[in-house]
Amino acid sequence: MTGTDQQAQVKNTVSLLDVSGVKTGYDDLQILWDLSINVQRGERVIVLGANGAGKTTLLKTLVGLLPVWEGAIHLNGEPVQTLRIDKRISRGISYLSEVGVVAGLTIEENLRIGGYHLASGAARSQMAVMYDSFPDLKVRRRETASSLSGGQRKMLAVAKALMSRPRLVIMDEPSAGLSPLFVTEVISMVNRFHDDGISFLIAEQNVKFLEIADRVYVLDAGRMIFTGTVEELHRNDALERAYFGVYG
Amino acid sequence: MSTFLFAVVSGILFGVFFSLMAIGLNFAFGVMKIVNLAHGDFVMLGAFGAYYALSTFGINPFATMIMEIVVFLVVGVGLYYGIIPRLLRSDDPEMLSLILFFGISQVIEALATLAFGTNPVTLPTNALGQLSFQLFGQAFESSWVISFLVSVVAIGLLYVYLYKTKMGIATRAIMANRDEAAASGIDVNRISAIAFGIALVLAAIAGTLTPFMLGGIYPSVGVNLTITSFSIIVIGSLGNPIGTVVGGLVYGLSLLLMQTYLSSWANMVPYVLLILILLIKPSGLLGKGARNA
Repeated sequence: MTGTDQQAQVKNTVSLLDVSGVKTGYDDLQILWDLSINVQRGERVIVLGANGAGKTTLLKTLVGLLPVWEGAIHLNGEPVQTLRIDKRISRGISYLSEVGVVAGLTIEENLRIGGYHLASGAARSQMAVMYDSFPDLKVRRRETASSLSGGQRKMLAVAKALMSRPRLVIMDEPSAGLSPLFVTEVISMVNRFHDDGISFLIAEQNVKFLEIADRVYVLDAGRMIFTGTVEELHRNDALERAYFGVYG
Repeated sequence: MSTFLFAVVSGILFGVFFSLMAIGLNFAFGVMKIVNLAHGDFVMLGAFGAYYALSTFGINPFATMIMEIVVFLVVGVGLYYGIIPRLLRSDDPEMLSLILFFGISQVIEALATLAFGTNPVTLPTNALGQLSFQLFGQAFESSWVISFLVSVVAIGLLYVYLYKTKMGIATRAIMANRDEAAASGIDVNRISAIAFGIALVLAAIAGTLTPFMLGGIYPSVGVNLTITSFSIIVIGSLGNPIGTVVGGLVYGLSLLLMQTYLSSWANMVPYVLLILILLIKPSGLLGKGARNA
């Protein structure tokens, strides 16, 4: 086995994303307490939690919008917790915030900033890929994102997040503000790009996303209270009542 | 009738120049949500740069303009990294920026007074070159027309930067939603630093033209230029650089018409327009909805 083969094998054995013992918060207010999660290549991982559980704080910390107080974040084995957001994105993380798009820019401009760190040729070819995947966006590419409906905006947000050619897409409540029909559409989009080899870490309250989850974390008051498969989640009476008692 | 037409054409020539003078202030506000109260002082420094270079070394104002573009860009980027990220981390960056830049304005004015004294200085109007321009049977000052053309080019280049380049689109993303821009992987600090540098470059270009448009310059003129610039951007739309062009034209036309027909009232124009626009359309002529800044 050559050195390159060995390196490739090592890379394949480490997690795509490995978060260990992360503590963080806003100013002096600690929100996350010793949080550890990981995402393997090709996985769709759902972080379930109620409002205020710390889901958005977790995602913002992973992408670099909030600093890590303690703990480590590794992407593909490389520590990234001290890197700026743009550096993390160029290493394969992409973040879809709850807003997801810049409303004042056109659809094409949103896609351009989604692929901001790509060279112009690569950005053009990736934009062509996105237009093939989302033909509606191509038709309306000169229109501002503010002219789109909620569902169309989410479609644009997904395309924008995929413009950077990510290995891992981190999504913050992609179902927020969407009708059940568009939630189904977003789930099918996730499946489509998962089939292309992209991993997903999705923070959600909507248990419909569990249909596609390979693993689930449950976050409560800044602490991880459950890790396992969807079947294991169903076998946990307290969580079953908390999440499926209301929504199921 | 010919007097009226002269006032209107002159108003347009001056209006575009005023747009250039104010656009940097609006650009910096749009990107960083800070009010650079020293903006007029940077315009004044640009003007004294042109005066000093011509009167001491005989350097053409256009050559000075190119040198000032480089110097002001470097100063703007340095000033950004030196103070603005700290301001933006504070609880009330807008208010702090007012206080801080007021201080910077006073320092610049004091240093300029030490260097150049308090007496107004002027430049020969033909120093920008000769260009014959007649419209409606009226001849217009060559320096006005050249200043107008330079202003059009500078504003046009800013438009091309903002709408046709990758960095410009990133700048507009920051103007629209700083957090979302950062989440998209845009290096917000780097783009903002360049934007602040560009804002000062625009001030420098306007400054080089100021002696030819406004006559005598003196260190304390910076405050007046800031007030005029602020009025123009409020008239157009605070935070929208393109709105500044509309604000500048409204201001230029109003000023020249007042100077033509009611000259003793002309100095009140910026203040009256400011009050009127705040009462009638607080978001500015090109603003959408109420401004919360």
